[in-house]
Amino acid sequence: MRHTTTDPVGDEMADEGGVSAVTACATAEREFERPSRRRFFALGVSMAAASVAGASTAAAQQTTKQTTKPSAARDMVKRLLQRAPSTDFDPFSRQGRVSSKTWDSTLTKLVRRVTNGVTEDELKLAQTLGYNGYLNYQLGFNKIEDGTTQTFVSQNYPLLTQSVEELYNIDQGMVVRQLTEASVYRAAFSKRQLYERMVEFWSDHFNIAFPQVNYLKLIDDREVIRRHALGRFPELLKASAHSPAMLEYLDNTRNRQRTLNENYAREVMELHTVGADGGYSQADVRELARVFTGWTLTGRGNFTFDPNNHDFNAKTVMGQVFPAMPAGAGAAGKSEGDRMIDFLATHPNTATFLARKMLQWLLQYEPTTAQVAAVATVYSRTQGDIAAMVRAILSPANVATAAPKLKRPYTFMLSSLRAVKPVVTKVSTISDRYLRLLGQPMFYWDPPDGYPDHADYWAGGLLQRWNFAAYLTTTSGELTMDINRFVAVNTPEGITAAISKELFGGEMPDRLKGQLTTYLAAQSTISQTRAREAVALALSSSAFQWI
Amino acid sequence: MSQSEHDDCACTEYNELTSRREFLGTSSGLSGAALYAWAYPEWLPKVSFADSFVANRDIMVSVFLRGGADGLSLCAPFGDPLYYTGRPTIAIPRPDSTSVNRGLALDDFFALPQGMRFLMPAYQAGDLLVVHGAGLTYNTRSHFDAQHYIEVGKANDSSVNTGWLGRHLATTSPMKNGASLRAVGISDGLVDTLKGGPQTLPMADPANYGIGGSSSTRDARTAWLRSEYENSGEPARTAALDAINTINLLRSLNIAGYTPANGAVYPNTGFARAFRSTAALIKADIGVEAVHLDIGGWDTHTDQNPLTGGMNNQMTQLSGALGAFWQDCISSGLAQNVTVVVLSEFGRNVRENGSRGTDHGRGTALFTMGRGIRGGRVLTSNWRPLAQENLVDRQDLAVSIDYRDILGEIVQNRLGNTNLATVFPGYVPAFRGVTK
Repeated sequence: MRHTTTDPVGDEMADEGGVSAVTACATAEREFERPSRRRFFALGVSMAAASVAGASTAAAQQTTKQTTKPSAARDMVKRLLQRAPSTDFDPFSRQGRVSSKTWDSTLTKLVRRVTNGVTEDELKLAQTLGYNGYLNYQLGFNKIEDGTTQTFVSQNYPLLTQSVEELYNIDQGMVVRQLTEASVYRAAFSKRQLYERMVEFWSDHFNIAFPQVNYLKLIDDREVIRRHALGRFPELLKASAHSPAMLEYLDNTRNRQRTLNENYAREVMELHTVGADGGYSQADVRELARVFTGWTLTGRGNFTFDPNNHDFNAKTVMGQVFPAMPAGAGAAGKSEGDRMIDFLATHPNTATFLARKMLQWLLQYEPTTAQVAAVATVYSRTQGDIAAMVRAILSPANVATAAPKLKRPYTFMLSSLRAVKPVVTKVSTISDRYLRLLGQPMFYWDPPDGYPDHADYWAGGLLQRWNFAAYLTTTSGELTMDINRFVAVNTPEGITAAISKELFGGEMPDRLKGQLTTYLAAQSTISQTRAREAVALALSSSAFQWI
Repeated sequence: MSQSEHDDCACTEYNELTSRREFLGTSSGLSGAALYAWAYPEWLPKVSFADSFVANRDIMVSVFLRGGADGLSLCAPFGDPLYYTGRPTIAIPRPDSTSVNRGLALDDFFALPQGMRFLMPAYQAGDLLVVHGAGLTYNTRSHFDAQHYIEVGKANDSSVNTGWLGRHLATTSPMKNGASLRAVGISDGLVDTLKGGPQTLPMADPANYGIGGSSSTRDARTAWLRSEYENSGEPARTAALDAINTINLLRSLNIAGYTPANGAVYPNTGFARAFRSTAALIKADIGVEAVHLDIGGWDTHTDQNPLTGGMNNQMTQLSGALGAFWQDCISSGLAQNVTVVVLSEFGRNVRENGSRGTDHGRGTALFTMGRGIRGGRVLTSNWRPLAQENLVDRQDLAVSIDYRDILGEIVQNRLGNTNLATVFPGYVPAFRGVTK
């Protein structure tokens, strides 16, 4: 497998030179003292990389040596990419003022965050139920009738319900295709939209790259992510720690008392629970790796605890003392890992770390300190009730003042599907080819930190979105859009109004309305081709790229 | 970002740079150099555009043969009798045989198959170097892993996710000041090789880069998008305008109407067309300094047929495109030097299998071509007879030359970049005298 424990050379290079240079760049972004943005754009990563290169010669000679920080190289890339917009910018307005249009009504903003794309039906439902009623409705996902989607999925993706014994021996390309297509279909068309949004969140949080574990990820998607997405985090964490896919992906299957592998121990703290600054040291990483020795797989991919590979000697992790166990302790050795999972799940830093990430996912890129504290408190008070946290995150007060977020390519695709409502026979081409073109092939993100979620990272893929919009509005076969819904009133104003209804819930920004009517008015009798083009342009507009 | 942030970090510069690019975008029909000279804002230091390309830096063309290309067919060791005993049906016949498919001798030991004949002129001119028994030293025969490790320049380290060529671009200033497009990957998505490269874009077809849909409304729709995004917020605004400016820039180059120099004729294959577009991009002098191209179809487990069938077709495509490119851009007296490298993720078994093909191996042949390359020979290290005891797992040509030795020397000596520790983290390339 591809993951090693920390790469000493790579990390050292970043540590010695790159990090300080990166901090300078990041600082420059916020304090506007040093390198101008022009130079930053022109040189890209070269400033940080140049210092990295300078420090490298000594580092290159180093032999195995553990760093004290989690992957500093990854941090460097993260910092370079993170230039979050200020909270008062508005993608619809050049001046950067918050728009006063009803597109920004609190209820509409809620629906935009709860779903993978506003539809008129969903807005009407929200208006009928009222803010809290609608939120409760989506949180009570199990009670939402979802037969159409479930039937389509079970008929088209039979592999989803299979066991490791059934899956190990078949074409793994088929496995990833069914997994991906089922994910796309459900995320786009299921009525349980908030649930699907949380499935996506936890898939990133507990990222596993399919090529490294194959069918095991299909099992993980079912038994870990989807089983607990709106459940309780301690249960989710426990399921993940026992997940054959996760243990394989993060090399814990190779973590044995004589040959420790720290990968899972590090990432379960850094990425899954307390966070990089969560109060653990390199020594804790090593000790936690010792705790998890013996957590491995058997057969075609079933969890087992192997006492023969477990380190029964005394350990201390983050102040938790584990006395030595007698030689014949056997299966009781697993209790150490169980105890650490509970410890991490109930740690206050986990509450804060998760609160911040969930706020960033559902609400806005830069949650306030108060928001984080409030949601962390909910975590602690409810012992990690995910739905309760979501309810706190999506309070009317929070949503009313929430800044926009750029749709990631996956969300852009889903919202386009929800807006144009094609007749669907298959989602194969879009799940395979177009997700790749758009830049977010699901289940192919290699490192364990999951797909990035900041505007700067994804903004460069606009041309691919425009091309997807052109495809979606003209293709037939797997997906067929019905243009008649848009041209019932075949005038520039009529078509624009229909587009406004389908894409924006009736609240298309005025400037966009003007631009579309102008484009449509170029023909005295508007052809279907032009109408389709107008729909594609609307999907391509800046307004449609934001939540 | 908000206006105040722009002000504090010299946003006037930023806005003027943007408007300069927009100006470039709306002009058409002018040559690249002329555009830049005309629109260069006076607040920037004067730069001479007479030598818009830096003299001692080559343009890099990177080619990847996807599938694990059989190096023992690409460059056959006819001098070793064990080559023939191991490959009763698929060996390349000796150059001195009477077979119509006989190999073309490169020296007294190695030969090119007929499929690679279009590379002979470059070899005879001393511009083409074959490096044999080369590749990835990390032991994997997985396509996915081996391709990834080679392209990111390091094996088995998930913290390295950018490409060697992307990092080269990131650690050097543009060859052309203010270039908005420095590297192009001719593929659907951005290949690993180029990840992390600034001003780098994937383009499935540079001759046809732009928004899809009807060609009769393409310009109108592009203009519509420009107008729409000019009034939007960041970072989408800059990204959109960059994309549109790039579209307009590429349209203005008229790659479809490009005429090769020196009598070169590009065959009518997808791969050759991509090379033709590469030549056009280079000569357009807009600042493109690296291009990556892929060619698949090398995973020859069954009926490999390097003489008359499948692999022969692949090699003909490969050498036809490379040969035309050599004639057009390397032997044509172009002032700007170009260096080409051709890699594959691994080679294939020394002995053929039961299906007249070969399975995944280790060492293979890689190629590099350019005026700055000491070619006209086959470079090996510790090449031994193909006896089982000399082979990895008794079946595969060993990797005696780490591919990064070749790339590292080229990056430093031909591309003028000494940041090798960043371009190839955790490895110190051993130069082998492949460059002049």
